[in-house]
Amino acid sequence: MRLGVLYGIVLGLALLTAGCNAMPGDPRSGPPIPPDQVTDFHILYNRNCQACHGANGRNGPAIDLANPEYEALIDDTTLRRIVANGMPGTEMPAWAQSAGGMLTDAQVNALVAGMRREWARPNAFAGGTPPPYAQNQTGDAKRGQQTYQARCASCHHTPAHQQVTSPVYLSLVSDQMLRTLIIAGRPDIRQPDWRHDTPNGGAGQPLSAQDVTDIVAYLHALRNPDEVSAAPLSNAPRR
Amino acid sequence: MSRLKRIYDWFELRLQLEGPVGEVVLHKVPRDTASWWYVFGSAAFTLLMLQIVTGILLALVYVPSGAQAWNSLNILNHQIPLGWYLRALHGWGSDFMVAVVFIHMAQVFLFGAYKYPRELTWTVGVFLLLATLGMAFTGQVLRFDQDAYWGLGIGVFIMSRVPWIGGGLVHLLLGGPVIAGATLSRFFTLHVFVIPGTLLLLALVHVWMVIKLGINEWPMPGRLVRRSTYIADYNKLAHEDGIPFVPGAFWKDLIFSGAVVAAVAVCAAVFGPYGPGGQPDPSIIQTVPKPDFPFLWIYAVLSYLPPSMETPFILVAPILMIAGLLAVPFVAGEGEKSWHRRPVAILALASVAVAWAVFTNLATFTPWSPHMNAWSGDTLPVRYLEEATPLVRQGAVIFQAKQCRNCHSVGGHGGQRGPALDDVATRMTVDQLRFKVVSGGGNMPAYGKNLSPPEIEALVSFLETLHPKGQSPAIDAAQQAVENAAASPPGSQGGTP
Ligand code: HEC
Ligand code: HEC
Repeated sequence: MRLGVLYGIVLGLALLTAGCNAMPGDPRSGPPIPPDQVTDFHILYNRNCQACHGANGRNGPAIDLANPEYEALIDDTTLRRIVANGMPGTEMPAWAQSAGGMLTDAQVNALVAGMRREWARPNAFAGGTPPPYAQNQTGDAKRGQQTYQARCASCHHTPAHQQVTSPVYLSLVSDQMLRTLIIAGRPDIRQPDWRHDTPNGGAGQPLSAQDVTDIVAYLHALRNPDEVSAAPLSNAPRR
Repeated sequence: MSRLKRIYDWFELRLQLEGPVGEVVLHKVPRDTASWWYVFGSAAFTLLMLQIVTGILLALVYVPSGAQAWNSLNILNHQIPLGWYLRALHGWGSDFMVAVVFIHMAQVFLFGAYKYPRELTWTVGVFLLLATLGMAFTGQVLRFDQDAYWGLGIGVFIMSRVPWIGGGLVHLLLGGPVIAGATLSRFFTLHVFVIPGTLLLLALVHVWMVIKLGINEWPMPGRLVRRSTYIADYNKLAHEDGIPFVPGAFWKDLIFSGAVVAAVAVCAAVFGPYGPGGQPDPSIIQTVPKPDFPFLWIYAVLSYLPPSMETPFILVAPILMIAGLLAVPFVAGEGEKSWHRRPVAILALASVAVAWAVFTNLATFTPWSPHMNAWSGDTLPVRYLEEATPLVRQGAVIFQAKQCRNCHSVGGHGGQRGPALDDVATRMTVDQLRFKVVSGGGNMPAYGKNLSPPEIEALVSFLETLHPKGQSPAIDAAQQAVENAAASPPGSQGGTP
């Protein structure tokens, strides 16, 4: 009788041991990957970018990388350079170890490739031809001011001290970011792209490459308001 | 029978164990002590045995070298059949042992069992506790992963604050000025030879005294301990209303110890081994290390202390605690044992238990260190930016980039050192916000020198929008009066928040 119990226990233990490889505590996943060997796009993006660029590349405080037009506008080399070296003078940090960041070259490449894979769409401009990503002309701030009044101010008027034309705001962002935004738009915050289609889909009047450059020149000049001869009209709140 | 008996007799003639063992087994103990309250000491001893057995098995594979320790644990986890289970048993055994030792101590305190003539039993017990904690700590270091590395780093940092000899102590412990290969050899020696040797020796002395002095009788209100009469009283009690230790009291010990070991086995099977986490590498700072459970409370306490209190606390508190524990039987060696008549003792125990539980709990739920990845990894709730103006959105970028969230949570994510900021605008006016950001105060650093005026403006205009929908932000009453007076037709105010 006693022996029976004993055998039972031994048998039970043996079975338990045999089934052990299916026990929930078994660490099957393998040792954790050291942070500098991670090349999974989603892990990299979630750890390093989403706080500013938003979950899945949209709705963050900084520009939406998931905008297909943005992905179509910027070429691989430039994108890679920006991720690696950051945007100097702004809060976009340099990520490559060569530039003082935390990511290896392989990881920067994985990010660029992942952004393309996840967010680029064929024919993102639906046949249109946007102004180029990089500025290739000189702008005229005066003309830019007029274009801004005509094309931007209707949406951007109050409160003036928090608007696009506020020198405080402008001192925190780069000209390139403004240019990118005007051309590719930001669908997640309803900023139109350069075509300026109306929110309900009606065709707008596209901004020319010169228009974009002029507006950026105007905003650039506003950082130091004395450079603009006329007082910036848009600073007067329109109510 | 005759064959076995003859072998037995052959040994007994030479060893002569029958007498002493019989005496131990059959010695009379007061009937009340056969209680489920009296099982923790033996359970701690059983766990010690479990740790020794599993520890020896682990030592067969573990390589105590800086370069290979981490690897050898991964080999145990992934290549040796059930190696992971062995690690899990040892790890959970350790947690259970610490817990059981603490419970045992609390029970002994509660039952006044440290009083005359058991003062020395208690004193040895205090050192057993320290040795157990020492095992837990050195064991955590042997894991030699990120947590171990940083846990040790903080331990060392604590030691380095000892006046005059701090540097020397650190050098002695680490085998050099920094954590390196020699460190691991030292901790291996401590964990495998020095502390367990001491522990086993002290445990035997402890048990010896328990047997010789008898198990503490059940405390009765009004039955006072007096040096002059206690031993005679106890012997009378044990003999007039006593039962033999085995099996009278012993079966409960057996069952409870068995249950504890089973619990360890189940926890090990279900939750698995601890780590090893990431490879120990001081250059990897993207990590949120957490010490093992027995030490969590220390880190919680440290993270809530104002910096100026840290050094005094770190250096003085442990000494006071140990001295306090050692003093207990000498301060209160006589008198009442019953908890019904010892309000101060009960209150003290309850406060310690509550404080410990609270801090441990805080430490398990909140990052005890700044939340290092928050600035690039934690998103802001989408609705917080729904109505943002360009400046406010830029303020949110600054908020993330300047790592405010290492210490402040928003939308439930972020550090816990400072208050959550989801509704900060209802608590502070714009001017108060600006002042706080620039000048700091309390535990908050002053950012006036680290942020440019536009950055501060953007940041403050973002913070100003942090209030629940429908609840208006805090407003400076005087300023509002001025604004109201200057306001054009009522209703024209408003605009974007
Ligand atoms: C601390 C906030 C922050 C983090 C984290 C961050 N960014 Fe940025 N990023 C910004 C800001 C702000 C800008 C716009 C800067 C400017 O004004 O030019 C920007 C711009 C960019 C741009 C260029 C946009 C353009 O105009 O072409 C790219 C590409 C980019 N980020 C990618 C990334 C990637 C990839 C990561 C993660 C590895 C990342 N960012 C992490 C804040 C951040
Ligand atoms: C149809 C309305 C509309 C027009 C026209 C418009 N915007 Fe916007 N813009 C928005 C909205 C909506 C936002 C998001 C809310 C906000 O930031 O005020 C925005 C945001 C912005 C931002 C901030 C982007 C960020 O990431 O924080 C800038 C800069 C900007 N617009 C510039 C312009 C410029 C320059 C023009 C003219 C070429 C323009 N906008 C025309 C609607 C418009």
